[in-house]
Amino acid sequence: MRIFWILLKKELHSFFVSPVAYVVLALVMVLNGFAFRAALSVLESAPSEGSIVSWTFHAMWFWLSYFFVFPLLTMRLFAEEKKMGTLETLFTAPVRAWQVVGSKYLASVIVYCVLWLPSLFNFKFAHWISAGQVELPSGAMGGAYLILVVMGMFNLAIGCFASSLTSNQIVAAIISFTLSLMHFLLGIFIMVVGRKISDTIVDIVNYFAATEHIRIFTAGLIDSRPIIYYLSMSLLFLSFTHHVVEFRRWRP
Amino acid sequence: MIDVQELTKQYAGRTAVNNISFQVEPGEIVGFLGPNGAGKSTTMRILSGYMPATSGRAMVAGFDVFHQSIQVRQSVGYMPENAPLYTDMRVKEYLRFRAELKGLSGLTMRRRIGEVMELTGVTDMRKRLIGNLSKGYRQRVALADALVHKPKLLILDEPTNGLDPVQIRHVRDLLRNLKSKHTVLLSTHILNEVEQTCDRVIMIHQGRIRANDTPANLTRQLRSTTLLHLEIDGTGSLAEKFSAIPAVRKATEEELLVVPWRRFTLRVEPDHDVREEVMQLAMQQKWRIREMHLQLPTLEDVFVELSMNTGTPTDTPTHVL
Repeated sequence: MRIFWILLKKELHSFFVSPVAYVVLALVMVLNGFAFRAALSVLESAPSEGSIVSWTFHAMWFWLSYFFVFPLLTMRLFAEEKKMGTLETLFTAPVRAWQVVGSKYLASVIVYCVLWLPSLFNFKFAHWISAGQVELPSGAMGGAYLILVVMGMFNLAIGCFASSLTSNQIVAAIISFTLSLMHFLLGIFIMVVGRKISDTIVDIVNYFAATEHIRIFTAGLIDSRPIIYYLSMSLLFLSFTHHVVEFRRWRP
Repeated sequence: MIDVQELTKQYAGRTAVNNISFQVEPGEIVGFLGPNGAGKSTTMRILSGYMPATSGRAMVAGFDVFHQSIQVRQSVGYMPENAPLYTDMRVKEYLRFRAELKGLSGLTMRRRIGEVMELTGVTDMRKRLIGNLSKGYRQRVALADALVHKPKLLILDEPTNGLDPVQIRHVRDLLRNLKSKHTVLLSTHILNEVEQTCDRVIMIHQGRIRANDTPANLTRQLRSTTLLHLEIDGTGSLAEKFSAIPAVRKATEEELLVVPWRRFTLRVEPDHDVREEVMQLAMQQKWRIREMHLQLPTLEDVFVELSMNTGTPTDTPTHVL
């Protein structure tokens, strides 16, 4: 466990020493600002059932920020070390593969969580400045951030896996982006063709449709199924990553 | 300290290391000598626990490199080829990270980091970003990293690669001083280097051990075969006539030059000079000679010769030629 913390500290260090974390943070803040503005204008124009939270996370701006975050955060994790050859130095120190994979992954999750802090501030500020007129239902807030974190964990695990496959960061980013996008589009696809196919299929696909999860959770409904789904998928992709990293040590 | 038995490593159809066996005793400095792609790095990577062998067994400091990889890595200080380092860290920061990974902590660690920085001469660079260091300094930081946990065995893959002559001498002295505390296995393709540093040399070529001896014995044998290049105008089977000279081992005709000139290479016995005999032969036969020069073999020639001579390698190739 001691080794794990040392590695985690090092990973966090390289996130915050390089400009990547700050560039991503800045972009997420800008896009969040737009999303928040879009939500405000919806509430302004007409009375609405949804809270400001659910409208913010329905905005196109939110999804825009959502997708570029994962490749940017994870592409360098393994690919850079492979390219530089430092993976060799790392694995000739007494460290185990799970410690390396786990520390890199956890570091990216931590940075990802930090990225959403400014949006929390947006809500709190709107609530405060309007003297409570902009309502912040606690269920919606809790649900929104909970699903953000678990969805993030899932997509970061995909990114981790993509990065372990190649020594080229661009390739890693594209693989990770494509996988995340395909998962997301599955839900959109059902939204589009939903009326033409049987309800069972719609129900099944809605189990893993990200848009659907966001809709439910931002309405303040905390459903355990998506949480279990995302967490188990994260574990699956992390174990894939572990296998890829350990591949070198396989013996016929 | 190291006990390698019938080690083989295959990469997707290519055999990098082929059935090698050797031992290294505690306190020895052993040099791994061979041309690029001979299998030096592969063997060292296996010994440092980075990757497994396809077959065979290797023990380092009493631990099996495959089954007790973590213990092996604790007792080995490994410096990979080209010294890969995290370029976004500062020298001291990096050494601290590596020392922590290898189980050091507190005052012992701080003191030890100071020691190895002093030893490798990077103390002045401790606050510099590794990315801004020159190749020579990076190499030294990597060496400091390999030394930091006082490993029983140091495995250094081309430690002097890319250093200037002064730095090479510095590293050489350093290695000699380390001898009392560590066993060292280092690889190089510079013959001169092993002569001056190592107690024993293991020559490896095309994945097989070609020789395993002290540098003194080895260099004497290596330098023994000389080559004589000739350009001659004559007819008939000249090669046969050259071979008739007692000290000539083998005469081969090279590619055809402009008619009537022909080019020959003679392999000559150790400590013999056949130039006069060749000259007399030419005068007898009324050949014209326009070039004759003696060539001491380079390391590459030696390896070419080694690989030709040991067409059917034995399992215990202890002496060359």
